[in-house]
Amino acid sequence: MSVRYGLLGLLAQGLRHGYELHSAFVALAGGKDQWDVKPPQIYSTLARLQEGGLVAEVGVEQEGGPEKRILTITPAGRAELDAWFKTPVVGEHLRDELFVKLMLSLADGAPGGQTAREVIHVQREALYRDLHRVTARRQAADPRGELGQILLLDKMAMHLEADLRWLEMVEARLEEVQRQPRPQPEPRLRGRPKKQ
Amino acid sequence: MAIVITENLTKVYGEGETAVTALDHVNVAVQAGEFVAVMGPSGCGKSTLLHLVGGLDLPTAGRVVLDGNDLAALSDDRLTVLRRREIGFIFQFFNLIPILTAAENASLPLLLDGAKPGEARAHAQKWLERLGLGDRLGSRPDQLSGGQQQRVAIARALVTEPALVLADEPTGNVDTRAGEEIAGLLRQAVTDWKQTVLMVTHDPRIAAYADRIVFLKDGRVVEQAQLSEQQPANG
Repeated sequence: MSVRYGLLGLLAQGLRHGYELHSAFVALAGGKDQWDVKPPQIYSTLARLQEGGLVAEVGVEQEGGPEKRILTITPAGRAELDAWFKTPVVGEHLRDELFVKLMLSLADGAPGGQTAREVIHVQREALYRDLHRVTARRQAADPRGELGQILLLDKMAMHLEADLRWLEMVEARLEEVQRQPRPQPEPRLRGRPKKQ
Repeated sequence: MAIVITENLTKVYGEGETAVTALDHVNVAVQAGEFVAVMGPSGCGKSTLLHLVGGLDLPTAGRVVLDGNDLAALSDDRLTVLRRREIGFIFQFFNLIPILTAAENASLPLLLDGAKPGEARAHAQKWLERLGLGDRLGSRPDQLSGGQQQRVAIARALVTEPALVLADEPTGNVDTRAGEEIAGLLRQAVTDWKQTVLMVTHDPRIAAYADRIVFLKDGRVVEQAQLSEQQPANG
């Protein structure tokens, strides 16, 4: 997941402490409202990176406060980061919880797809609330200094809009889908494959 | 406080076997300081609802109460005055008068209502400036972009500081970017300038600017979604 690569990237930029990395990651990902990564997740990810030899501890610093472990990215870490830059991000587009929920709600047999309609209603309201929030933040953002933020908000708005349009399409065809047979598992082959 | 309430609002076009029910017992209330979007597939009755609320058409049954006035109980003259003072209309195709400048178009509702020309112009100028058109006061519609023309139309709708602004697909005839600007200005009209807006749209991105969405289908309210955290203040 990208906490791992986000941290590697920040370490490559010269950041050195867990505390510093946490706040920098939250800012990088678009702020706390966007992705509220908790410090324990940062520390455990750093520990795993260290175990994997991608990050190394090079000392301990203490200036009055609690001691800070100073971290650095290793050559193996840099290689991993470079490989990540060259690989496409694999989205969740093909694994969709809402789709699974809709299919199951259709199968519960309520007349007129009532359960599925409720699923759609609940989801639509939530999506519109998110879109309302994103729109308000997009309007408040200053294009002269927060373009990165704005691009992230635009991406979110576009995805939310696509989800809303898809829900509309599903709703229009709900009864048609319900009339069709449910997807069946592929038959399991028994015994040894036949010789050609 | 509700600015507008519809009670069992029903509109049937035609008679007998060819009768088409455009609105079927619709109950909707818009509170003061609220921004409400009406959505639904084409032919769901959303424009009919807006026309009835604006007193542009008469219901078959049920009624519209606007700012305490039952529209059906008003004489034609009083309805005309109410429409002019209490309702601001924004249309998809702007409906500006081509031979008039931006300032003249925006001051029209005040002039029709008997305001002194100087006063009307000053108000129109104030609203055009708020809407970012301070440098286009003397431009005619054909010298303005679609988005700018719609902003003149918004100024014309707001110039009387009406009780209710009705917007029928206000972004339907401009590009995406201008559409977002227009929706943003309607949002600002509610948040900063304390107006109340009822808007018909089929665009989810535009509807998301509202505080609440009412979904119509086959002339009935089938769903509502509350988008903003805060309920509008009472009173």
